[in-house]
Amino acid sequence: MIEVLDVTRVYQMGLVEVQALRGVRCSIQQGEFVGIMGPSGSGKSTLLHILGLLDSPTSGTVTIDGTDVGLLKEQEKSEFRLNHLGYVFQDYALVPELSVRENVVLPAMARGAPPDTYLKESEEILRQVGLGHRIDHRQYELSGGEQQRVAIARALINRPGILFADEPCANLDSNTSRTILNLFRELNEKYGQTIIMVTHEEWHEEFMCRVLYMKDGLIDGEKACKMRENKN
Amino acid sequence: MPSQHFSVALFLAIRSIQRGNRFTFFLTVMIMGLVFVNLVFLPSIISGVVVNFNSQSINYNYGNLVIEPRENEVYISGVSEVKQKISQIPGISGSSPRFSAGATYHYHDNQLSGQITGFNPRYEQEVTLIHTKMKDGDFLAEGDTDSIVLGTSLAGNIDERLDQVDSLGGVTTGDSIDVTFSNGVRRTLRVKGIIESGVYSVDRTAFITLKEIESVYGLSDTATILLVKLDGDGQEDKYKRILMEYGIAERIRTYQEKGLGFVNDAIRSFEIINAISTMVSLVIAIVVIFIVIFINTINKRRQIGILKAIGINKNIIVYSYIIQVFIIASCGILLGLLFSSGLVLYLTYKPLMFPGGAVLPVVEAGSIIRSIMSLALVSLISGFIPSWKTANEPILDAIRGN
Ligand SMILES: Nc1ncnc2c1ncn2[C@@H]1O[C@H](COP(=O)(O)OP(=O)(O)OP(=O)(O)O)[C@@H](O)[C@H]1O
Ligand SMILES: [Mg+2]
Repeated sequence: MIEVLDVTRVYQMGLVEVQALRGVRCSIQQGEFVGIMGPSGSGKSTLLHILGLLDSPTSGTVTIDGTDVGLLKEQEKSEFRLNHLGYVFQDYALVPELSVRENVVLPAMARGAPPDTYLKESEEILRQVGLGHRIDHRQYELSGGEQQRVAIARALINRPGILFADEPCANLDSNTSRTILNLFRELNEKYGQTIIMVTHEEWHEEFMCRVLYMKDGLIDGEKACKMRENKN
Repeated sequence: MPSQHFSVALFLAIRSIQRGNRFTFFLTVMIMGLVFVNLVFLPSIISGVVVNFNSQSINYNYGNLVIEPRENEVYISGVSEVKQKISQIPGISGSSPRFSAGATYHYHDNQLSGQITGFNPRYEQEVTLIHTKMKDGDFLAEGDTDSIVLGTSLAGNIDERLDQVDSLGGVTTGDSIDVTFSNGVRRTLRVKGIIESGVYSVDRTAFITLKEIESVYGLSDTATILLVKLDGDGQEDKYKRILMEYGIAERIRTYQEKGLGFVNDAIRSFEIINAISTMVSLVIAIVVIFIVIFINTINKRRQIGILKAIGINKNIIVYSYIIQVFIIASCGILLGLLFSSGLVLYLTYKPLMFPGGAVLPVVEAGSIIRSIMSLALVSLISGFIPSWKTANEPILDAIRGN
């Protein structure tokens, strides 16, 4: 569970202060698929980065599963991200010299997991994301959507508690976006994967349980999405 | 460092070299190899010059040790007794008394001043190799009188343009020349042979028998120096002590001490040139590695940021670049060793010509080790700096790319 308390983030740009976040307060439960939406510049990415330990708030606290992550040192944050968090970015940033499988197992190797375990897991996860037939291919042989799915598999290899995604479909056409979102929904529904995703597109709402709307550095409102309401 | 950091870094480095830009890799290795050659080559020529100079000193000018007159004396008197003493010492293979003096040579209209040396031809052959370098005619024999052998550059050519220095203008075997000795005695001597040793000091002088020169000066059992030849080179200092222990009261100098001033100046100049060339090649190595890694990390800035974001320790990234540089430097060094051996082989068959003869490159283990170490060190440092800089960039700056 994530608990966000009065988080602010101020960027100092020379003499000008930019208030990217002005006191955000929210909580996200385990197993949720939460969307963050809002106009450009409203602070969505800033909030996601702070939740994902890639940035520190100017004030306020973030607690993840009981750990006040503001107290962690840089190396501890790196470890925490490796072991507990997964990330998917707009640009896939695969290592071009590695094969699909090698990209996916990299975080597991860095963690010191035994090879036979992570090799097996990587196959399973790649099958899950629909790339079971592409295991030994290289990045240049894959389409954008396939590359993003490799990035998702890489984010999942260490079985993270929370998966963060910042506009993962921004570079994809709507059909490909749909397969990615379906994949997220499946991960969420079938395996209870907690997902926090920033997006611009209204139609993505149908895949999520809850949407937080941001405006001018604050959470301006939220809504539980129909899909999940119907289900419950 | 946790062991998995190293193995992940190694994995990334190997893949990066296997599947990265081949052209850049080979080019960098090539440059490293050439830099290595440059580091090894000049010192090998310097060593070659030194070795050459030493062997010439021993084989043509001095033997291993030189016995000189006592202080304040001009001659070694009773030289046969000294020679007798020396010949008892084990490890000494020969000794040759020499008597050198100033002389003026006359041939037709030409006149040249220089040195003339008298020796006992039999004893001389125990010490030097001059007798093996006859260009024409014969070497002196023990009983020869009124005979002289001339160095080739003293004898010269009829066609003056072939001479590198002033000469007598083409003396040949069988000719007669006049020699005026430093005491004013003038003799007409028959030229028995011409020597071409490639050693300037030898080719510029003339030799007669010790008996002859003694009769000119009205001396006997006298020498200006006594050359001593050892069974093996490199033990000069030890035998210098031994000779003193045997009661040789004359001054004893090693061939190194005799040749000191001249060769040391030359070597010092060479070493300054070498230091400059070493520095230039190391700077080239630094700049090349730095630029290659710098451009590589700049291109991968975003990727590095995201790897760090997903929890890959930044040290893994730095190590992976250092390992890459290490592999590049190792391949470069290997290639450099290959190039150097090729070059050495080539120059062994087609040696460089220096004043004083052909110089073979002499590659010393010390210089190889020094080159390997310095190249490895500068590569690692110049690989470390850019990769460390990029790996320590704040994650979000790297991902945003601003
Ligand atoms: N490094 C930075 N330095 C200065 N200001 C920044 C920095 N990063 C973000 N900001 C500012 O903070 C505010 C929030 O930015 P943020 O990237 O979180 O917006 P966003 O909601 O993700 O927008 P978008 O939809 O365009 O991605 C913006 O006004 C932005 O200009
Ligand atoms: Mg954003």
